[in-house]
Amino acid sequence: MRSEILKLQGLVSGYQPDLPIIQGVDLSVGEGELVVMLGPNGAGKSTLVKTIAGLVPVHSGRVFLAGADLTDVPTHRKMRQGLGFVPQTENIFATMSIRENLQLAAQVLPKAHRAARIDAMLAMFPDLAARQSTRSGALSGGQRQMLACARALIVEPQILILDEPSAGLSPKMVSEVFEQLVRINASGVTTILVEQNVKAGLQIASRGVILVEGRVAHDAPADGLLGDPVVSELYLGGHKKEEVTA
Amino acid sequence: MITQAIMDGLINGGIIGLGAIGVTLTYSILRFANFGHGELLSWGAYVALSLSAALGALLPSLSTPIGPFSFGWSVPIALIGSMILTALLALTVDWLLFGRLRRSGSAIIILVMASFGAALALRNLLEFIYTSKPAYFTNALQISKPLFGGMRATPDQLLVLGLAVVTVVLVHLLLTRTPAGRAMRAVSENAQLAALTGIDVRNVIRLVWILGAALAAVAGVMSGLLVQIRPTMGLDLLLPLFAASILGGIGSVPGAMLAGLIVGLAEALTVQVIGAEWRAAVAFVILVAVLLLRPNGLFGKAPA
Amino acid sequence: MILDLLSYGAFFLTMALSYAVICLGLNVQWGQTGLFNVGVAGFVAVGAYTSALLTTPFIADRIGGFGLPIVIGWLGGGLVAGLLSAALGFITLRLRSDYLAIATFGAAVMIQLVLLNLLGFTGGPFGIGFIPRPFGDLAENTDLFSYANLAVMAALVSVTYLVLEHLVRSPWGRVLRAIREDETAARGLGKNPEAYRLQAFAIGGFVMGLGGAAQAHFIGFIAPDNYLPTLTFQVWTMLIIGGSGNMRGAILGGVLVWGIWAVSGNVVSQFFPASEQARASSLQIVLIGIALCVVLLFRPRGILGENATVSRHIKARKKPATGSASLSTRT
Repeated sequence: MRSEILKLQGLVSGYQPDLPIIQGVDLSVGEGELVVMLGPNGAGKSTLVKTIAGLVPVHSGRVFLAGADLTDVPTHRKMRQGLGFVPQTENIFATMSIRENLQLAAQVLPKAHRAARIDAMLAMFPDLAARQSTRSGALSGGQRQMLACARALIVEPQILILDEPSAGLSPKMVSEVFEQLVRINASGVTTILVEQNVKAGLQIASRGVILVEGRVAHDAPADGLLGDPVVSELYLGGHKKEEVTA
Repeated sequence: MITQAIMDGLINGGIIGLGAIGVTLTYSILRFANFGHGELLSWGAYVALSLSAALGALLPSLSTPIGPFSFGWSVPIALIGSMILTALLALTVDWLLFGRLRRSGSAIIILVMASFGAALALRNLLEFIYTSKPAYFTNALQISKPLFGGMRATPDQLLVLGLAVVTVVLVHLLLTRTPAGRAMRAVSENAQLAALTGIDVRNVIRLVWILGAALAAVAGVMSGLLVQIRPTMGLDLLLPLFAASILGGIGSVPGAMLAGLIVGLAEALTVQVIGAEWRAAVAFVILVAVLLLRPNGLFGKAPA
Repeated sequence: MILDLLSYGAFFLTMALSYAVICLGLNVQWGQTGLFNVGVAGFVAVGAYTSALLTTPFIADRIGGFGLPIVIGWLGGGLVAGLLSAALGFITLRLRSDYLAIATFGAAVMIQLVLLNLLGFTGGPFGIGFIPRPFGDLAENTDLFSYANLAVMAALVSVTYLVLEHLVRSPWGRVLRAIREDETAARGLGKNPEAYRLQAFAIGGFVMGLGGAAQAHFIGFIAPDNYLPTLTFQVWTMLIIGGSGNMRGAILGGVLVWGIWAVSGNVVSQFFPASEQARASSLQIVLIGIALCVVLLFRPRGILGENATVSRHIKARKKPATGSASLSTRT
């Protein structure tokens, strides 16, 4: 039986106190799963993961990470307790070099481990190692995404959450990024990704959760969802055209 | 005569640059123009004055001038004390005022307004305690020694210039080579991402206030040493400080110092060519020129 | 005795109302348009000096002295202040709001410098005297004189208030409101936000100049020292306490804060011997500075301001800015 890494209990949240976007979400993610979060525009997928990360205020409900109640913990400490989050935009420090980005992320680790972890990340992403001193603002979209992942992984998080990692990337880059995500997940990191690219997301995930209007509308193993017409009805509607052929 | 103006300009520019570094750091990380920064300079000078006088009263030998300089050991010791106390002042004002306004979600402009009010209160508190009569660290007179190219400078002036250079180098190293400095640069670029990277943004904010206030205290003492100490000294430097930090590019430490030197030189040349009474206009002209032609300044990033 | 008290009251109220006019001008810039002008004193000075130069009799070594009627002086003062505001606004309004604050601060410093240094223009540190008073021929009968001046000032405040209220409710005012609520939508409808902001800034500047001129003619004598940052601070305190965004709040603030200033000045000076009066006035300003910060902390909308104003200007914009542009409210 897998241990439970992430648990959301009756989560209600939103930027404004009187305007909840997440309207009550219960979710349980087990160790090692690769969950893809889908749903129509405005369903609240981004808002949900941002709530978990502490960027959106919680109105009610709780967030547990490996049993520890993280709901009221400030964002920077959530990260230190094992929650890795990669935002959709502005997810690296463009004015700093690749190496500095990694050094910065490694600062929360004890001094003795920092160098080793930085080297581990450079080994995992040879593309980045090749140009460590480059100002990261000059990197391509795919490389930035890699750096953003490396930044989050350097502290060996218990769970890695990504908000639309494929956004703005060419199809070739999307497959590279997704390959990398599969490898990361295979090495034991529980992963949640929010995705607009339904087909690509379901192809790598073990499980799909569909969010509609701030609530979980469907939660099932990924291979079942791929061909399921009910899913298309539920939310794709006219969005079927947006499926990108990999 | 122009060469002497250049000397004076560099020295004054060094002081402006030091203050501007504090402004540019707090501006880029706290994201508002702090009209009270000049008062940190004034408080730094007055606190050092009081500490130095107290030390001199306790141990008269501390007042004896060191070597060629006009001041005794009481002044450098008092400077250290003043840096600490001025940092405490800044942290207190942030705790009482700016921090609360930030947490209640106030717009930037309210913070600026509050800083204007705080500045007025702090300045007049100084005037209340010390009166507006000018004060001096020491009564010892200094003779300026000839250098090269027809320039003259007093030992005090050369010390100030040297200290300014050393301080800039130290701050630059702090920002680029230390974890704390990296954290500050990260928060300056993207505070939310910094938090996501595990950085305690509140700690960084405290650090910025300490650093900015300490630098202001040094600049204040320098100005007090070379010119005089009076309650409006910070206010008089505020426009040059803002002009220099905007010219240098908000967030750039080397930019702030370079721009400070430029402003200092421009002021000295104006005094030479046009007249001393128009000195204060120079900073305004530079400010308008920068805002018109290149609002990002020399080394600045794109505005937030 | 009663007559003396009433006369003093009239004098006091006239001064307060002159500040109310200036405050109305500031409200157009801040309350209606959200612009933070830290150089109020400069524009007030420009209005005062222009009017003085237009209406005073000729003096050697100084230009001006056209001896024109007071009304021309006042309008001229407003006009020059308005034009100067337009010029400054043109340079700075498209920049971020705190750059405008710094630029207006610098402008006030610059204006102060010009007033001090150009003796042939402004009389330098000696200022300009013999500014004609309204109903000047009544000067011997002090009571009637005070009431007449009060009437004039009250009339000015009323007219300004009515004109501005009308402006706010006019189509122009509606566009200004639309720009505040949703600038992108307003732009999509073909309205140019920069142009409207510039107009509002200039109109506000005009009213400030007008107030400065009226004040100058009431006191009869002006000097550069009358227009220091303290004045800017006084007017801002009046607007914030009275209620920003609200024309009546501006008037209330003007009268109320002027009263507080005068009374607190009196009270504080009681605690100090005659030789320490300078210290007393410093302490007074400290207390008022603290009072402003307290109001900003606990009741930023002031007495008459509505909550709508608070969310409009005082709170950060609702849509969460990206991480780079804001510190979260958790800091």
